[in-house]
Amino acid sequence: MNDSDLTSLLKKARMPQPPDELWEELPGRVTQQLNRARHENIQPMRTSLPRWAWAMATALCVVLAFIAGHWHGQHAAEDTLASAKVVRETLAMFPNRVRAIVQDEHGLSLVLSENNDVPSSSPLYVHVCSGKQCGSVVTFSGQEIQVAGQKMTVLADGHDGVILVGNDFAWSSRDPAMAKNNLKIETKNLDIGKM
Amino acid sequence: MALPDELNCIQNSLTGDHEAYATLVKEYQKMVYAVAWRMTGSLEDAEDLTQETFLRAFRQLESFRSESKFSTWLCRIAINLSLTWRDRERRRGAVHTQWAEDSITDGEGSGKHSDPLSRRVQGALDKLPAKQRAAIVLTVYEERSHAEAAKILNCTEATVSWRVFAARRKLKRLLKGVSRE
Repeated sequence: MNDSDLTSLLKKARMPQPPDELWEELPGRVTQQLNRARHENIQPMRTSLPRWAWAMATALCVVLAFIAGHWHGQHAAEDTLASAKVVRETLAMFPNRVRAIVQDEHGLSLVLSENNDVPSSSPLYVHVCSGKQCGSVVTFSGQEIQVAGQKMTVLADGHDGVILVGNDFAWSSRDPAMAKNNLKIETKNLDIGKM
Repeated sequence: MALPDELNCIQNSLTGDHEAYATLVKEYQKMVYAVAWRMTGSLEDAEDLTQETFLRAFRQLESFRSESKFSTWLCRIAINLSLTWRDRERRRGAVHTQWAEDSITDGEGSGKHSDPLSRRVQGALDKLPAKQRAAIVLTVYEERSHAEAAKILNCTEATVSWRVFAARRKLKRLLKGVSRE
């Protein structure tokens, strides 16, 4: 069979047609979801977690708010995550389950894994500003996060440095000038074992 | 480049006009559905992926650059979602291998949806690695050039050409003896 015959054969395979109602309904379904999202002000989920994990995370937000308030006298609100003590206390509550602690314009939130499968490693602090939108995250090497509207994978480079890899940018703490898309980035290896 | 009317719809959508976005959905829903179906072989999953594609596209609409075609950008989202779907299904052990096996041995039509030839071709497509399948879907069914397919798949043109070559070789083997009548 030559290429031309194969192409002809492939194109002869008809796609089963869905009911006509789908084409009439689909635009409405999409706009309905968008209207609902706007009404409820739902933010894009950072990870896919079961409902009970989100309920626990919500409960933990209350705890984190207390912790943040406890440290308010010593740290400005935007530096809460840079505090190793806050991070250490949070990690102790959910050993090997914390994927990320996020602080943005909506406050503090926690991203948990369903299982105890987050490897133990030094927490990495990442602060990103994209225009006026800023956010901070404490996470671990290998985790994918979203902060300041940017999705990226966070990696430790093995020398106390941090590498960020996004869809259309890459950044290293060893060469901060690498990012070309006007992102302002600050990172720190918290290494709470040393604190 | 995105068409002028299309750009108006996009601009209006960005200001929160969901009805303008519905116009874009109506324009491209069949294209996206066709891509999703070819990638998954499942009507139900194609419908879900189509809806998800448009929702994701809306969330990312600010990142669309008018220098490229909106259909190309949309196709990229659809393909990426389909590839993620396949990874997830593979982990669940639920990729439509049973459907593909049935399609090879079943000499009867499947009722309203497809004839034996179509089912066998789709079964063969399903046996391709996801990225080779995506390359075939884009170049054969969507009739995109290798350069366009490369933009959609975020790889080089040479990679697309290689994937198409490898996919065709496998498809010829799988579809050997299939009647072209």
